[in-house]
Amino acid sequence: MKKELHITVNGDAHHLLVDTGRTLLDVIREDIGLTGTKNGCGAGECGACTVLLDNEPVNSCLVLAHEAEGRDVLTIEGLAVGGVLHPIQEAFVSQGAIQCGYCTPGMVMSTKALLDRNPDPTREEILRGLRGNLCRCTGYVKIVEAVEVAKCLLAEGEPG
Amino acid sequence: MTRCIIGKGLPRIDAIPKVTGEAEYTVDLKMQGLLIGKILRSPHPHARIKSIDTTAAAQLQGVLAVITAKDVPGTLFSFYQWLADKNILCGEKVRYVGDEVAAVAAVDEDTAEEAISLIKVEYELLPAVFDIEEAMRPGAPLVHEGNESNSNWNVQRLFGDPDKALAECDYVVEGTYVTHAQAHSCLETSNCVAKWDMKDRLTIWTNAQAPHTQRQEVARILGIPRRNVRVINSHMGGGFGSKLVMDMKVPIAAVLSKITGRPVRIVNTRSEEFTTGKTRYPYTMHLKTGATRDGQIVVRDLELIGDAGAYHDKGPATINFSSMMFGTLYNVPNIRFEAKLVYTNKEMGTAFRGFGNPQVTFATESQLDELAAKMGIDPFDLRMRNSNCAMGTTSCGAEICGCGMSECLQAAADGIGWEAKKARPDDGALRGVGLANMVHTGGGGRFYGFNSAEAFIKLSDEGTVTLITSALDMGQGSHTTMAQIAAEELGVSLDDINILSNDTDLTPYDLGSWGSRATFMDGNAVQAAARDAKVALVAAAAEMLGADPADILIEESQIWVKGSAEKHPLSDIVDHSVNEHGSPISGTGRFVDTLPEGYTIPTAFAKNIPCFSFGTQAVEVEIDPETGQVRVLKVVAAHETGTTINQTMAEGQIEGSIAQGIGFALMERLLRVDGKVQNDRFLDYKIPNIGDMPEIEAILVESEGTNGPFGAKGIGEPGLVPTAPAIANAVFDAIGVRFHELPITRDAVLKALKEKQK
Repeated sequence: MKKELHITVNGDAHHLLVDTGRTLLDVIREDIGLTGTKNGCGAGECGACTVLLDNEPVNSCLVLAHEAEGRDVLTIEGLAVGGVLHPIQEAFVSQGAIQCGYCTPGMVMSTKALLDRNPDPTREEILRGLRGNLCRCTGYVKIVEAVEVAKCLLAEGEPG
Repeated sequence: MTRCIIGKGLPRIDAIPKVTGEAEYTVDLKMQGLLIGKILRSPHPHARIKSIDTTAAAQLQGVLAVITAKDVPGTLFSFYQWLADKNILCGEKVRYVGDEVAAVAAVDEDTAEEAISLIKVEYELLPAVFDIEEAMRPGAPLVHEGNESNSNWNVQRLFGDPDKALAECDYVVEGTYVTHAQAHSCLETSNCVAKWDMKDRLTIWTNAQAPHTQRQEVARILGIPRRNVRVINSHMGGGFGSKLVMDMKVPIAAVLSKITGRPVRIVNTRSEEFTTGKTRYPYTMHLKTGATRDGQIVVRDLELIGDAGAYHDKGPATINFSSMMFGTLYNVPNIRFEAKLVYTNKEMGTAFRGFGNPQVTFATESQLDELAAKMGIDPFDLRMRNSNCAMGTTSCGAEICGCGMSECLQAAADGIGWEAKKARPDDGALRGVGLANMVHTGGGGRFYGFNSAEAFIKLSDEGTVTLITSALDMGQGSHTTMAQIAAEELGVSLDDINILSNDTDLTPYDLGSWGSRATFMDGNAVQAAARDAKVALVAAAAEMLGADPADILIEESQIWVKGSAEKHPLSDIVDHSVNEHGSPISGTGRFVDTLPEGYTIPTAFAKNIPCFSFGTQAVEVEIDPETGQVRVLKVVAAHETGTTINQTMAEGQIEGSIAQGIGFALMERLLRVDGKVQNDRFLDYKIPNIGDMPEIEAILVESEGTNGPFGAKGIGEPGLVPTAPAIANAVFDAIGVRFHELPITRDAVLKALKEKQK
């Protein structure tokens, strides 16, 4: 059954007709066409589909699209503003925290959620904050380094 | 020589598209009229198909095609076609839980799934074999009828006189080592889109590590000319060997597309990826190592049984490669390697980072520590005494040019604090350190009877560079490596390089990204192409500036005459050459890895490897006596790079390999009951998460003697090879228990600790 859905994604308001069984991930990727958010398992176990829903990180494969009715979604495409990378993105690039890149959007969004919540996390807190995001390529070493660099960049008051 | 670009830890050239979500993967492609394909898979490990009724599925609204074995070519397929054993869709019987039985194409995912559920298959269950012992027993049910037994592929290698050496040497250790099925677990699952055009050409969009050989494989199984198949890659969400050999979803999508006249996409679910996406080959290895009193390893004797699963795929090639690495690690004069590949009613194996080497290295390097213990000497000393050396031929014929093994061993031992930690007084903490060496190919192999690569370069009229290479980037970063090589050789900045490498209509024929091959092979071709283009560029500059070509210098896209302070942008020179003389600048490069004299495929053995790479890992572990958990605290990984092309990326390859190695050593195993995988999701099949990782110190050891680009070797796989034995050796050091089977799970550790207390 289809129902109307009002949803704001990266600041853009969308008014869609969406089947009630579909996930937020499906709607972001298929209806809105933002394919930066990835599907890694469809079961909330890998974190590749992480987006921020009203600033809270969610596995968008586990959220029904209609649960996001009237709410704000931020995806990876909404992070760089005016062609300028967000400091977290900058840090992931400079530290070599990206290999295949398939986990990267989710990893970056989880980092954003972590640093929004706690701008100065300890190493332990970083590990806890990103435990739900799997990466098969990097061994996470450079991801941890990137989060630490991002934390400093943000503290230095870079825009974002 | 000063270098501007080689060796630096520059960011990947695809980092920005990947970090902004702009990078398109095959699953992201959108197409007009795209249909969704789904595969009906066998629920039984071994059964005869009595009947298939597709009527209800075909009548479902939104279903455009339903196919079974009678709709697809009956040709059998394998990586080695002379061992062909796999059909596109099973017609008579299924051989594992997950075997392809039928497929549908529908307007959307839900409809396709519903159609699949409406297909009725009547099976007659057959007795199945799940482990190699069972499968090899006389009279065991045959996975493939017509064979005499379930083992119809084997290999023997013999160098020296192992029996004599075993009888005469002073120390012999013997043991059986077992490894299990590890899943590649790429974050992007295997997927493809197939589409025919009006000229009967088939285009496949897929995440393939070897698009050209997959193009041949698709043509071979469909019985169509190779020229009619085009394979297009996008960004790839991981490979690790899983995407080398064609998966049956590709010809299935092709047939569905042919019938419907529309593009058809098939994407593995995560469960399909775990249960049908193929695994690392499980090995059971019975090994003997013998040494003289003065610590010289004189003999190694290995009986190996590889569990193929239901089909051969890369099994024969994997075991062959195992034998080469087994024969080459240390210069052991007497070597015997006897291996069998055995069919069982399970998901098949395939290539997986390390390609059979992590399994045998687990056995050889674990046993080396057992030998050291028996001899009462330090495992470090035993390794150092037997270390491979440069510029020699081993007893099995391996030609070692550069070799940094001793240096790697020393660096890893120093990094972990070997001497101090071995001498540490017992403070009650269950801590230990372990070492393991490895040898691996640093440049693919000559297994096809040849090993070559080509690349093309063209400069735009503004001096930017388009590099056409077949080096396939599955995430490991070979595009950046190729761009760095081209930029350094040509004297342009990295930002000026644009890579095209994703389309078999465009790229030169190539064997693909495997065996730590791309840097060495494609890198050499790229360097040659850049050198070729540079000759033209220098000639143009000399003409324009009225100088001798020998005096022209190019660096970072600036050109000047030796001794002159006036620098010219490269764009001026190219613009002049193109627009004044009608002479565009381009270059062609080819690298042919010359085969050694007398090379033949059946006899070449270790001469198949164009360049070897050596490395050592040292680890420290701590064991929790309450839970049995082995916690890896630190890994020091010293690996040879020849010449480091990109420091950050080389470290990244080692760190990622170690993560997969820790998974292989401690966590990962597909568990089956009656042939059915029980842990087909990340919740149950655990791969290392960010909290499981130790501190890693990656040490890049540069060494000479390799004819790779700027002296570089491949670094994609070595980091995985010695991780498991180093951990097993550290566990022994910590608790005095020797584990002969991977993964070393908490249960196994607790059980061992309990038995030890008795």
